[in-house]
Amino acid sequence: MPSSSSGVLVRRILREAGIGLALLVMVLFFAAVAPSFTTHENIANILTQITINLILATGMTFAILVGGIDLSVGAVMALCAVIAGTVLKQDSLSDPEAIGLGILASLLVGMACGGLNGFVSSFWGIPAFIVTLGMLNIARGGALEVTNARTIYDFPDPFNAFGTMSLLGVPVMFLLALALLGIGWLVLTRTVFGRMIYAIGNNEEAVRLSGHRPLVTKVLAFTVTGLFVGIAAIVYMTRLTIANPILGIGFELNAIAAVIIGGTSLSGGRGSLVGTLLGAAIIGVLANGLILMGVSDFFRQIVTGVVIILAVILDSYRARLSLRG
Amino acid sequence: MDRRTFLTGCAAGGALALAPGLASAQTKKPVIGLVMKSLANEFFKDMQEGAVKHAQERGDLTLLPLGIQSETDIDGQIALVENLITKKVDAIVIAPADSRALIAPIARAVKAGIKVVNIDVRFDPASMRKHHIDIVFVGPDNRAGAKMSGDVLAKALGAGGKVVIIEGNPGAENGVQRKLGYMDAIAQGKLDLLDSRTAHWETEEANTVFSNMLTAHQDIQGVMAANDSMALGVVKAIEAAGRKGKIKVVSFDNIPAIQPLLQDGEVIATVDQFGAQLAGDGIDAAMQEIAGKSLTGWTKTELKLVTAPGS
Amino acid sequence: MTEPHRAPILRLEGVTKRFPGVLALDAIDLDFSEGEMHALAGENGAGKSSLIRLLAGIHRPDAGRMTLAGQPYAPHAPLDAIRAGVRVVHQEFNLLPALSVAENLLFERLPRRRFGIVDRRAMDRRAEELLARVGLGDLSPRTPVERLGIAQKQLVEIARALSTEGRVLVLDEPTATLTPRETDRLFAQIRQLKAGGMTLIYVSHHLAEIFALCDRVTVLRNGRKVETLPTAETDPAALVRAMIGRTLAAQAPIGGRTLGRDGGDGHRDRREALRVAGLRPIGAPEGGGLDFAVRAGEIVGLAGLVGAGRSETVRAIFGADPRVSGTILRDGRPVRIRAPRDAIAAGICLLTENRKEEGLVLQMPARVNTTLARLGLVSRLGILDRAAERDATLRLAGELATKLSGPEQKVIELSGGNQQKIVLAKWLFGDGGGASAQVLMLDEPTRGIDVGAKAEIYALLGRLAEQGRAILVVSSELPELMHLCDRILVLSRGHLAGEVARADFSEERILSLAYSQYMQTD
Repeated sequence: MPSSSSGVLVRRILREAGIGLALLVMVLFFAAVAPSFTTHENIANILTQITINLILATGMTFAILVGGIDLSVGAVMALCAVIAGTVLKQDSLSDPEAIGLGILASLLVGMACGGLNGFVSSFWGIPAFIVTLGMLNIARGGALEVTNARTIYDFPDPFNAFGTMSLLGVPVMFLLALALLGIGWLVLTRTVFGRMIYAIGNNEEAVRLSGHRPLVTKVLAFTVTGLFVGIAAIVYMTRLTIANPILGIGFELNAIAAVIIGGTSLSGGRGSLVGTLLGAAIIGVLANGLILMGVSDFFRQIVTGVVIILAVILDSYRARLSLRG
Repeated sequence: MDRRTFLTGCAAGGALALAPGLASAQTKKPVIGLVMKSLANEFFKDMQEGAVKHAQERGDLTLLPLGIQSETDIDGQIALVENLITKKVDAIVIAPADSRALIAPIARAVKAGIKVVNIDVRFDPASMRKHHIDIVFVGPDNRAGAKMSGDVLAKALGAGGKVVIIEGNPGAENGVQRKLGYMDAIAQGKLDLLDSRTAHWETEEANTVFSNMLTAHQDIQGVMAANDSMALGVVKAIEAAGRKGKIKVVSFDNIPAIQPLLQDGEVIATVDQFGAQLAGDGIDAAMQEIAGKSLTGWTKTELKLVTAPGS
Repeated sequence: MTEPHRAPILRLEGVTKRFPGVLALDAIDLDFSEGEMHALAGENGAGKSSLIRLLAGIHRPDAGRMTLAGQPYAPHAPLDAIRAGVRVVHQEFNLLPALSVAENLLFERLPRRRFGIVDRRAMDRRAEELLARVGLGDLSPRTPVERLGIAQKQLVEIARALSTEGRVLVLDEPTATLTPRETDRLFAQIRQLKAGGMTLIYVSHHLAEIFALCDRVTVLRNGRKVETLPTAETDPAALVRAMIGRTLAAQAPIGGRTLGRDGGDGHRDRREALRVAGLRPIGAPEGGGLDFAVRAGEIVGLAGLVGAGRSETVRAIFGADPRVSGTILRDGRPVRIRAPRDAIAAGICLLTENRKEEGLVLQMPARVNTTLARLGLVSRLGILDRAAERDATLRLAGELATKLSGPEQKVIELSGGNQQKIVLAKWLFGDGGGASAQVLMLDEPTRGIDVGAKAEIYALLGRLAEQGRAILVVSSELPELMHLCDRILVLSRGHLAGEVARADFSEERILSLAYSQYMQTD
């Protein structure tokens, strides 16, 4: 939990520093061995490339902090995209109507799937792992059913234009992701809802016995995860100008990896969106830098795996330190 | 179980040779199991729908179309073949998820008297010899197709043109063949290959991978993508880098979503392997085998180069 | 020294243990004689737990040396300690809930037949012997541990320590969860072990137990050894003085002195802040249920043996667990309570038995825990006002004399007594006292808390009652209830066996009521 008290702030910086330092070392290393790494174009590329994972990971942080997890984000993202794509292709709608309704549809589908995940897992006390595994299949099957496995393309130009917009050389979609992360951070640290998420992640029974309804908070937290999935689906569509039912396979794993590398505890209640930002950046920089270095695909995958495990080891040391205070 | 299959086969064979009317009155329609790869893939979905339509038009067989969850679900496909053996179908038409792993169950099917036709990806010949079977392959020559597509790029760029390849799933046979075809085109056209990486057949990953290649190699002039889905991602990366029209893309599959890009000239060539007809061709071959004809080797199916109107 | 001089079996010389920021043990010299029963006394944080952890091989000393029977003793892991013959029964259970009692008892050395197959019959036989030694002879060794009550678990834990041949047995608060009958049984067992030549190290807050059982007592304070004395040469008052190093303001927490309030009759005409009618908590016996009332300004005790339904009663009133039937009236008006939130809205609070599991969010700051139950008071439109939270935390910490480095200190870093004060602060935050004051229910409020903090909590409860709150206290310690309460309700097997007014308080009276239902049906 962040705080403005200076002692805690210092401790928090130290805690966050490990992962920030790792990112810095990585950036310096790639800058030294791959000259094109630091070009403006490449940095814009990296920002574009981490955008979708960053949005998904921001949402995922909510589910993980409350003590759950969401394995369905990739599949739900495909469902959101194909439904939004279907709406966008309605000839009876004008462009602004189609875009507005398409975006709305994506957000609503995402929130509905997320809310359902949260409700089923907390009302019946089923591990979120299992419920969202079910939702993964439901959403993927739903997306295939809706499209009959076809790719949807040819969206209105103003819609597609968003994917390539940039402001002072920074991709607008990344700025959007950053703004969403900022809002998420404020919600987690400054609101009653955020307080409830952390408290439930730490000790749900104590929260219940303090007169709260953990169910409501948990359903809302998963709904937020779903909302971010809906947003990510729209960003995906504007970037690639297509929507197909098999998009997003494995995205949940990247999002979870970003959250974990960022130091959020898988058992809930501990972590922050600042960490998630750093985690997503590390994954993006690693993928980009290794390609620029000419490292083979297979070795790239090995390195990514090693980084995830190192992050968790680092985290276990941090947890021990924080226990001793 | 062997006997009934045997009798059905004899009856069908006899019918063709001697008395068609009599035979069809006495025997049931042959049952053919169609074992596909992932039906989540547009290509296989089309192929399956084409096969169902084709079977209805023929009207002289019962088709059991079956698919698996993902391209790599080899176990699932083996289970499907085993179920078909238990069901005692007359023939199996299969697009194997792996060119070697499926040989053992297919050999069991052959032993059980079931006719087998191989489509899409060819069984590994050496493995077939080891199991003493020789399954007919009905399918396109992915390598030749990719070379056709790659040749268009070679011609457009001229010798010394700098290109990269975006590969399919590492280990997938059609991906490997397409890469070989592209390599043939590069060798023949004396192109300069800067990099070759997988994007696992996927749009978003192709977009990321190609953006990064573009950073590493500013002078890329052409891209050879192993399927159209990845070509879509590559084109978006070219546009995002402000290099639209300066980098030429060739591809494979000819899916509907690629058409606008062909119109614009951003993709200059793709190859249509008439996937929808492929399973139908396989069914025809299976019916011939049921009728007693013995097929072996490779029956190559049609490939058509589709180019941009301007090029 | 009246004891004949016996060779020390375990000797500590200059043992020091440092944790970040804390000197837990400061050059401790200590001898344990063979076959003696040696008590360790001291407030929480005095160093008892650290000492036990060193003996158990959980931590290693930073300086100093230990010798066991003349040999250097430096366990690197709990298994080393067990092999050397030092067994520790910890306060927290280390049992595997899904496994059977027998499996838990013999976990380290399961009897095997050929090919590593567990010999279940031999295991059960061995387990039965061990259970008999702690008076659990009727318990089937195949029962899964998760189905045992808390007292049974404690006894199983002790039986497990007896499963290996040991020379030194450390018991850390073994009676905290036991009924008097179980405690007696345990004491008999302990005396038998001692007669067999075992050296016992006994850690307990119950001074009476120390004097009843132990030969010598060592007092620790702030990581230092204060003194080691034969129990015959000291008395409880002197021991308490040595432990706290100061004289308590509200002296004699045990011994029945009043809090300086009237005898309890003064509340007769006060309104009934809480009344329950026909209350049957889940699992309650057939019958009409419980009927009783707590008046504003009154402290009422709820006594009974383990399993009498005391915790179940307060949890049912609070809505923490569902109830079979019963009406709850607040200031004479019926209130609908289906969940804790309903109870809190009606001004009824519960300080639960397990503060770590149910009362606190341990990993979070004192500030978060203080405002947890009334976030509406420190937020507007769902946005938190952290400055207000910090102010409230500091104000309540001041009122309750909570030792806190600041509002951001995590409660896990606090001692038991200070943690309990944070739970109290949670319930007192936003409750001004006076006419609107609430009903405060406390379940074992001083369990695992040192003497000094106990006295402070007693004084605090007296003050809270004077401000007009109605207080209902559940406790297993009769002296505590007799010290605190205006009257005591006694439960026996889920029935209200009777009520004792302050003028009639005596342990015999209360215990005979507590046993009444057991006498009748047996």
